Formats: sequence, C-alpha cells, structure tokens
Amino acid sequence: MTDRRTPDDTTRKATFREIVEPEIEVMLRVAFSITSSPADGEDLVQESLLRAYKALDRFDGRHPRAWLLTILRHTNANMHRRRRPGTVGDWEVIRSAKPAFGRSELPSAEDSVIDLELHPALDAAVRALDPRFRSALILVDVHDLSYAEAAAVMGVPVGTVMSRLSRARDRVRKALRATPLTRGDL
Amino acid sequence: MLGTLRQMLTCHWSARRIQRYLDADPAARLTPGETSRLEEHLATCERCAEVAAENRALHRALSAWTGMRSVDPRSVDRVRSFLSTIDDEDPR
Repeated sequence: MTDRRTPDDTTRKATFREIVEPEIEVMLRVAFSITSSPADGEDLVQESLLRAYKALDRFDGRHPRAWLLTILRHTNANMHRRRRPGTVGDWEVIRSAKPAFGRSELPSAEDSVIDLELHPALDAAVRALDPRFRSALILVDVHDLSYAEAAAVMGVPVGTVMSRLSRARDRVRKALRATPLTRGDL
Repeated sequence: MLGTLRQMLTCHWSARRIQRYLDADPAARLTPGETSRLEEHLATCERCAEVAAENRALHRALSAWTGMRSVDPRSVDRVRSFLSTIDDEDPR
C-alpha cells in the first residue's frame, strides 16, 4: 500500500497537531462544562477538531486556543441544531434541562448546567447568577481562560466578558460577605 | 469636604480598575502609571483594599474547584488517538 500523502499534506497535518495538542485539555474542560457530560464533551471536542482541520487553511496562526474555542462554540450550537426531538435521548435531555430565566431550549455555552462541588455558600452564590454572568466567571476564574479566550467561547466582545465578569464577581463577593471565603480561609 | 470628595473620586476610579489589576489580562492591562496610582490607593483605603482581598479570595476558591478543572487523562488520550485518525483519513 503506497502513501499518497504529499509533502504539503504532511506539513499541514504536523502543523495541525502542533496547534491542537497543547490545547486538548483546555478544550475538554470547556466542553465538559458546556455539555455537563464527559461523553458528550469528548464528542464535541472530536467534532470540533474535524472542523478545525478542515478550516486550518483559513487560520492566521495567531491565538490558537481562542480559534479552537470559537470552533468549539460554533460546533456545539450546530450539534444542538442538528438534533430533532423524537428520540428518547433528546426527550430526556429536554426534560432534564433546567430553564434559565424563562429559557427552555437545549443548554448553550451560556446556560450550561454545572455540577458544583464547592463550599455550599459559594455553590449557592454561583448557581444564583444569571447564566451569562456565571459563564464568564467559570471560564475566567475556574478554567483560567484569558478575556479573549472566554470571549471566543461565549461569542461576545472582550469588553462584554469584562463587564459580565465584574458583575458576577461583585454579586458572588457580596453574597459571601459573612462567610469564611471573604476572610480568605475557605 | 474637598478631601472626602477627592477620596470618593479615587475610590470610584480604583473600583473601575481593580479587576484589571488583579487579572493582569493581556487584553486589558493597566498602564504603569495606573498601577502605581491604584497600589498607592489600596495601601491607604481600607474599603478598596477589602474589595481587592475579597476578589483574590474568590479567585482562589474558584481556582481550587478541582471538580471542574480536572480532566480524566484517558479522555486526553482518546482525543490524541482521534488526532491520529484525522491524520490517517484526511477528512478534507
């Protein structure tokens, strides 16, 4: 069996691998928080990587993590759009989806359901946030994404991330005023 | 009176920059002048210093949230294997 790959193909594949490998873990972490399921999160990452590979020629080489996370967000939206109610799995997802501020569609990056394993007071304060604010907080403070990377995941400008983050932190901070968290010994 | 007003304005100015100061994000860095002015204010204003301390504590607590941060190494391995599949099949 002969290898039909050209030197260009080989270079392209090596470049792709070089870009993706350092970002696998962060992609998985973000995907898990969007889907709330390791299996779905892996599927989302794999589908995103296929799309990224096809789009590699249009990538300018700058900010690979933000580029991959943007593809992850679009892929997640497209995967949900593709689903059609009718299968048992879909109805289970719909029934178990927690409505957020009156919304009842399938979870998006912004209103992902999160399994909290935090100090109960912090857990309650984070859960009480508007999903848009919660996403900013989780992406930056839990996943350590930069403002630009969080903006890529949320599909909003960096300024919006900053303002949502600020409001999220203010609300959580004020909710925790009487807890050990504010004394820094949580 | 003038001193109180100046203090209030400085607190307001500082409140708008504490997040950027603590995060030091490349997209929104403070200038060296802003950093010095803010640090001077935090050294003398108890209320703003408390806000900064609470934000630091909150970030520490959320960073330590291992349930969200840890990824099963087997998941990473599976995605790595998947990358090899892309190499083999070339989905273009």
